[in-house]
Amino acid sequence: MNESTLFLITFVLYSISAFIYMYVTLFFSKKEKPAKTAYFFASAGLAVHTLALIWRTFESGHAPFTNMYESLSFLAWASILAYVIIEMKFKIRKAGPYFMLIVIALMALASSPLMPKDATPLVPALQSYWLWLHVSVTLLGEAFFAFAFITSILYLVADAKEKRGEKTELSAAKLDSVSYRCIAVGFPLFTLGGLVFGMIWAYKAWGSYWSWDPKETWSLITWFVFALYLHTRIVMGWKGRRSAYVAIIGFLAALFTYFGVNYLLVGLHSYA
Amino acid sequence: MKSVFKFFSSVKLAIVLLIIITAASILGTLIPQLRSPEEYIARYGQWANILQRLQLTRLYQSLWFITLLIFFALNIIVCSLNRLSPKLKRAFRPRLTVEAKNLAAFKIKEKIKKHMNLDSAREIAKKELSARHYRVKDRQKENKAFFYARKRVLGWFGADIVHLGILIIIAGGIISGIGGFRRNLTFSEGRILKIPRAEFKLRLDKFETVYYPNGGVKDWKSTLTVLEDEKPVLNKVIEVNHPLSYKGFVFYQSSYGWDWTDPFVEIWVKKRQDPSFLKRINLKVGEKIRLDNENIQVSVLQFVPDFVIGDKGQIATRSLKPNNPAVFIEGWQAEDKIFSGWIFAKFPDFNRIHSEKEYDLMFEFKNFEADQLSIIELSKDPGANFIWIGSTFLMIGLFLAFYWPTREIRMVLEGAGNKTEITAGGVASKSKDAFASEFKTITESIRRSK
Repeated sequence: MNESTLFLITFVLYSISAFIYMYVTLFFSKKEKPAKTAYFFASAGLAVHTLALIWRTFESGHAPFTNMYESLSFLAWASILAYVIIEMKFKIRKAGPYFMLIVIALMALASSPLMPKDATPLVPALQSYWLWLHVSVTLLGEAFFAFAFITSILYLVADAKEKRGEKTELSAAKLDSVSYRCIAVGFPLFTLGGLVFGMIWAYKAWGSYWSWDPKETWSLITWFVFALYLHTRIVMGWKGRRSAYVAIIGFLAALFTYFGVNYLLVGLHSYA
Repeated sequence: MKSVFKFFSSVKLAIVLLIIITAASILGTLIPQLRSPEEYIARYGQWANILQRLQLTRLYQSLWFITLLIFFALNIIVCSLNRLSPKLKRAFRPRLTVEAKNLAAFKIKEKIKKHMNLDSAREIAKKELSARHYRVKDRQKENKAFFYARKRVLGWFGADIVHLGILIIIAGGIISGIGGFRRNLTFSEGRILKIPRAEFKLRLDKFETVYYPNGGVKDWKSTLTVLEDEKPVLNKVIEVNHPLSYKGFVFYQSSYGWDWTDPFVEIWVKKRQDPSFLKRINLKVGEKIRLDNENIQVSVLQFVPDFVIGDKGQIATRSLKPNNPAVFIEGWQAEDKIFSGWIFAKFPDFNRIHSEKEYDLMFEFKNFEADQLSIIELSKDPGANFIWIGSTFLMIGLFLAFYWPTREIRMVLEGAGNKTEITAGGVASKSKDAFASEFKTITESIRRSK
C-alpha cells in the first residue's frame, strides 16, 4: 500500500461514480436510487483521496501541492469536496455527471506520464506555511468556480429548452441561482487565498506584495471577471444568459491562471 | 462640478472601466514587461518603438494605466457615497411608524389575531423577536403599537466596506510606487554596509547555505547585526521567507553569490610523455608557484567565473555565476616566459595556451573555491501596511455582503379591548428563503403563545 495505490483506488471510485451518474442521466432520469449510489462512490473516493493526500504529505514532508501532479490531484480533491458540500445543500444531482467529468479529467491529467510524480525537496521560497494557506484556499475557491461553470452551461441548455416549451428536470431558474451561490462561496475564498494570502506570502518571500508577475496578473483578471459577474447581477439586474456567459468566462480565466500561465507565459511562479 | 459627479456616479462607467482595466492587464501579460530596448527590437522589430511610446512595455507603471486606476477609484468613491446616505438613514434613523396597510406591500407578511389586550400581545411579540436576536424599537400611538425589529445591520454596509478596502489597497499601491524602494545588498562575512537612506548600518556575521542530502539548496541563512552609531542593537538570523524588519526597512534573504576577488585555484599538471606524472598545485590568483624538478614557475594572473569573448575580442565574464570558470596562467623559466593562456574547468580540451618555447607539460583547471556572498534584498515599502488594512476590510466586507444579510421585520399591533390584531411584514437583503422560514417560525410562535 502506498500513495500511488491510494490514488489509483480514488481514481477508480470517481470513475464508477461518474459512470453511474452518466448511466442514470441518460437512461433513468427519474430514478433517485442509482444517483444516491453514485454520490456514495464520490464520497468514498473523497475519503480515500484524503488519505492519499495525507500519506503524500507525510512521505514528502511538505504540503501536497508543490508540483503539477500534486496540484492537479489536490484540485480534484477540492472539487469533490465542493461537490459534496453543494450536493448536500442544493440537491442538484443533475449537475453531478458533468462535474464528475471535470474531476476525471483532472485525475487523468495528474496520472499522465507528462506529470512528474516524484516528491522533490522544496526550493527555499516554497518552505513556508503560507504555501498551505495560499494554495489550498485558492484551489478550493476555484473548485466552486468550476461548479458554477457546469451549472452555467447546464443553465444555457435548460434555458434554450424552456424557451422551446420543453420540460426540464432542473429548472433554469434553479441552475442560475446555484451558479450564483457557488460564486458567492468561490469569490471570497479566491480573494482570500489567491489575492490576500498571495500578497502576504509574496511580501514575506520576495519583499514585494505585488510584482505584476503573469500569474498574479491573471488571478487579478479572474477576480475582475467575477467582480463583473457580481456587479452586473446585483446592481444592473443581469440574470440568466448574460450572467451565465460571464460565469463561464470567469472560470476560463481561472483555468488559464492555473494552467495556461505556467506553460505559455514566463514569470516568478515557476514552480506551479 | 455637478456633471463630473454625475459622470462618476454611473455604475455603467464602473463596468466599462473594469472591462478596460481587465483588457489592459491581459495585454500586459502578453507583452513581456520591463525588458531592455534591445530585447524589444529583437522581438518586435519596427513595432518596438511604438510599443515603447505607448508605454506598453511598462504598462502597469504607465501614466495611462494609473489614470485608469484613479478614475476607477473616483468612480468607486462617488458610487458608494451616492448609495451610502439613504442606507445610513435607514440604519440610524429608521422610520418607526409604518401603517398596517403599507405592510401589505411586503412579500413576506402575516396577520395574527390574538385574544388578549395590546400590552400582553406586545410582550409576546417582543419576546419572540428578541429570542431570535432581533433588536426591537417600538412606539405606541393610542391603541396602536409599531414595531421595527432588525438584525445584522452591518450586512447593508458589506459592499461599502469591500469598496473602502479596495480604495485603501489602491492608495497603498500608489504610496508604494512613489515612496518604496528596493536594493540588492551583496555581503561577505564580516562586512559592514551602510544602509542607503537610513541612519543605521548592517553587519553580516555569518552566512551559510543549507543543502538537502541530494545536493539541492534547502535554505540560505544570514546572521545579521544592526549597528546604530557603531553599537550593535539587534541580532537576527534571516532566511528565505523569514526577513528582518527594522525601522521600516525589511531585509530578505534572496540568494547567494561568490566573492571572485581572489579565489583559490587547483591546477593539475601532467606530462604528455609520462602518463604516470601528476602534480597538483593550489594557489590564489596573483600567486606564483615553483614546480619542483621542472625548473618552471607557474602563476595565475586572472580568474573569470563565466568566460566569454566580447565583440572586440576582449575577455569578459557573462555573469557572476560559475557557469564557465576559467583562469589565465603563465609559465616562466628563469627570465623567459615559456607559455601563457586560458584554461577552462569545464572544457579541458579547449585550453588556449600559447607556447613560446618547447615544453612537455599539460595543465588542467580542476577546482576553485571562493567565499560565498549573501545576497540580501533591502526593501522599504511604506504602502505595505495599507495593503494589509485594505485586505482586512475587503475580507470583512465580503463576509458581511454575502453571509450577514440584514433582516428587518415590521409589525403593527392594533388593540381593541381584549383583542389585538398583529400585522407583520419582513424583508431580507439576501437569502430570502432562509428569512421566510425564520419569519414563519416567529409569527407561528406569536400565534401560539398565551
